[in-house]
Amino acid sequence: MLRVLINQIRFTALQAIFLVTFLAAILAFLVISQSIRQLGRFGAIDNLGTIMVVAVIRELGPLLTALIVVSRSGTAIAAEMATNRVMGEVTALEAMGIDPYIYLVLPRMLGAIVSVATLMVVFDAVALTSGFVAAATTGMSLNRYTGIVLKTLSAGDVWLTLAKGVFFGAAVALFCSYHGLAVKAGPTEIPQAVTRGVVATIVAIFIMSAVFVVIAS
Amino acid sequence: MTAPPAPHVRSGAIAEVAGAAPLAYRDVALTTRPDRLLQLAVQAGEVVAAIGDENGGVEQLGRLALGLAAPASGTVEVFGLRIAELSYYDLLVFRRRVGYLPQGDGLLQNLSLRDNVALPVRFATDHRLREVDAKVAQLIEDFRLRAIAGLRPAQANEEDRRRAAAARAIALNPKLVVLELPFVGLTGRAAKDLLERLSRTEDGGRRTVLLTSRDLTPSVRELVTRTVRVVDGVAVEDTK
Repeated sequence: MLRVLINQIRFTALQAIFLVTFLAAILAFLVISQSIRQLGRFGAIDNLGTIMVVAVIRELGPLLTALIVVSRSGTAIAAEMATNRVMGEVTALEAMGIDPYIYLVLPRMLGAIVSVATLMVVFDAVALTSGFVAAATTGMSLNRYTGIVLKTLSAGDVWLTLAKGVFFGAAVALFCSYHGLAVKAGPTEIPQAVTRGVVATIVAIFIMSAVFVVIAS
Repeated sequence: MTAPPAPHVRSGAIAEVAGAAPLAYRDVALTTRPDRLLQLAVQAGEVVAAIGDENGGVEQLGRLALGLAAPASGTVEVFGLRIAELSYYDLLVFRRRVGYLPQGDGLLQNLSLRDNVALPVRFATDHRLREVDAKVAQLIEDFRLRAIAGLRPAQANEEDRRRAAAARAIALNPKLVVLELPFVGLTGRAAKDLLERLSRTEDGGRRTVLLTSRDLTPSVRELVTRTVRVVDGVAVEDTK
């Protein structure tokens, strides 16, 4: 089980870091470089921090990170669970007195939670850095940028990010595992199970995002 | 090599019924015909072969014995307990008292043969890591898997996979073993060798075995104490 957990974290977090870093950098750069011009025209440059924190750190970051994990690891989890079911491995585990939910699902869920939460922190760090690069192209100093961002960024945002990491990570593993393990007909049902798992996870993540907005407000 | 200590198997607190047959099917419907009900009891130490074709229902016997499927009617008793009436978790831990070799092999594809054999010992016993390793090494040795223990199931041939699955089935030294079509694709000699190992307990005693098969080779028949032919859901004693 520990090996499955470690493999899950390696595949879900470590191997996705480059993609998350790249997308976080691009997204933050685009958002800040577009916003800074518009805000500058109205003399509202101090609102840059609000855009950075509210749009990128609180909402887009967690959503984009979760979507990356769903597309990479969620599909893998659903396909693996479905294959386990089709190959009779789930039945074999049950016959040995091993709970397949404990053996198969739990380590993947823990791995996904740790991975998504970690990737969200990485996303936020990269986005903040990339946002500064975008701001610096218009002549903004590091001190000013930091001051503007920190005026809006609070400890609550950090906790919110971690909470979203836990819930989104759990959703990825649970929904994809559920649909993978629900396969009955045979190998031809595996791609359908993957699709169902991914769609259900995406819907759940967006709903949870909305719930978090309500709770946070 | 000295034998490792007997594992303390965490198989739940449910008590077996003293003196009961290790496995008994009572009025079990294997087909849709209500007048064809299976009566079959496997007594302690017996090696019973249930042979028959697909339509006769013989392939359901293994799953019914493990509680992986519930009979449409009648009861299946394992060590005197109606297995279908146990709760999910009670059933799960109770199954550790029964060895099971499913049709095919049921090996986990992402684990090596060694890890497959180790799986029940790691999960269902109070062994420490070193003791688990010793126990697994003993099983690997007994089933002549040492040279290929590091291979994944897909890298091993059918006979090796079957031997690994068999080693896993008796890893907890169960008193009862249920084998589903265990000899498909094996030579007569390999089948006999497999059954010999499976029907022997760690202390050299006789283990109770129920095996299902389409037919039996003469070499396997030598080891079987009783043969029943399952025809249209009914067991008919076969002369050896």
